[in-house]
Amino acid sequence: MSAPDPAPPARLRVVAGGSYADWESVYADNVVAVYRLVFRQVGNRPDAEDLAEEVFLAALPRLKLPAPVASVRSYLGATARTVVADHWRRHYAAPPAAPLPEDVTVAMPEPAAGDGGRATRLLARLPERFRQILELRFLRGLSVRQAAAEMGVTAGNARVLQHRALRRAAELSEDGE
Amino acid sequence: MRPDRRVGRFVEDLLRNRRPRRFRATPEELAAMRAAAELRSARLGADLPDPVFVDRLGRRLREELSGEPRDRSLTRRRLLLGAGTAAAAAVAGGAAGIAGDRALAGAGSRELVPGGATWQPVLAAAAVAPGRAVRFSTDAVEGFVVNRDGQYRAYSATCTHLGCLLHEAAGGRLACPCHRTTFGLDGSVLEHELPQAPAPLPWLHTRVRDGQVEVLTV
Repeated sequence: MSAPDPAPPARLRVVAGGSYADWESVYADNVVAVYRLVFRQVGNRPDAEDLAEEVFLAALPRLKLPAPVASVRSYLGATARTVVADHWRRHYAAPPAAPLPEDVTVAMPEPAAGDGGRATRLLARLPERFRQILELRFLRGLSVRQAAAEMGVTAGNARVLQHRALRRAAELSEDGE
Repeated sequence: MRPDRRVGRFVEDLLRNRRPRRFRATPEELAAMRAAAELRSARLGADLPDPVFVDRLGRRLREELSGEPRDRSLTRRRLLLGAGTAAAAAVAGGAAGIAGDRALAGAGSRELVPGGATWQPVLAAAAVAPGRAVRFSTDAVEGFVVNRDGQYRAYSATCTHLGCLLHEAAGGRLACPCHRTTFGLDGSVLEHELPQAPAPLPWLHTRVRDGQVEVLTV
């Protein structure tokens, strides 16, 4: 949480002395960031809402307040990481989260952004056809059929292309930004 | 079903903001699905929460965290029992100002014997009628003492799902307010609405001395 936002929404407020006095300020100051962190890892609203709720229900009772902003945020980030990993493990048989090294904190996204920066950069690094199919689907929200028509291929081809594009995006994402 | 079909259906659900269907995914499918989840936030503002949700959760938390007398102890230091969430997150929280786990039994164990523990009186035995559970708090643990036919045993009072505090409900049950899970007076799970049954409640070594119920804790 480095650069201050030039025009923070009213909901977000500067916390005096860099610490949170009560859970209400923890919630008000972090709910957007926690939701974004979770949404980026599950990609749909119903799951993101459930998991963000789980994060706060698990973390807030355990906070001993007042506490420094940085340590509360890293605690929320670590809780979110565990909750999301558990979601993927339970529902899609993903391997459990590796233990977090003690000196590592989980970065929280800037609460005010919502600019899709990371995902947009990921798209930009893909080969042309892969980028195109994913942009038509994820940015413009076209159906497979519409996207296929736009690209001049069959719907079947568009589906295969989309799958390959996602596999490539996954490889790029693993390599880091 | 072919892998690209299952991933394709997952993508369709994401794009329509529906809860995707669950299935056992291969590592390759998982990688593609995670990439799809991330790409969903490429659209401007797609990853911002609905204000209605933010308000609703805020009210929900207020009910959970303030108000009820039995929840006053929420600000106290307590044992967090068995919840994977807490165990992992405590690593990050342990350093500064956050009550983390203190000397816990490992995952999978139901018996809590913290290192450096001593016997501490928590309740008068007479205060716990047969077939009842009575709440107690120490600096380290939130628990219930249960009297089953004159046998006393202390159980953790935090739900093994996400650590919400349980309360005694009618019919000899301990109920979780967060996800409607209930436990029996022997710590077993009676009802739950979760995808997987949570673990039974951990218990502490318990004895009665001079009319006092004592538990072994730090």
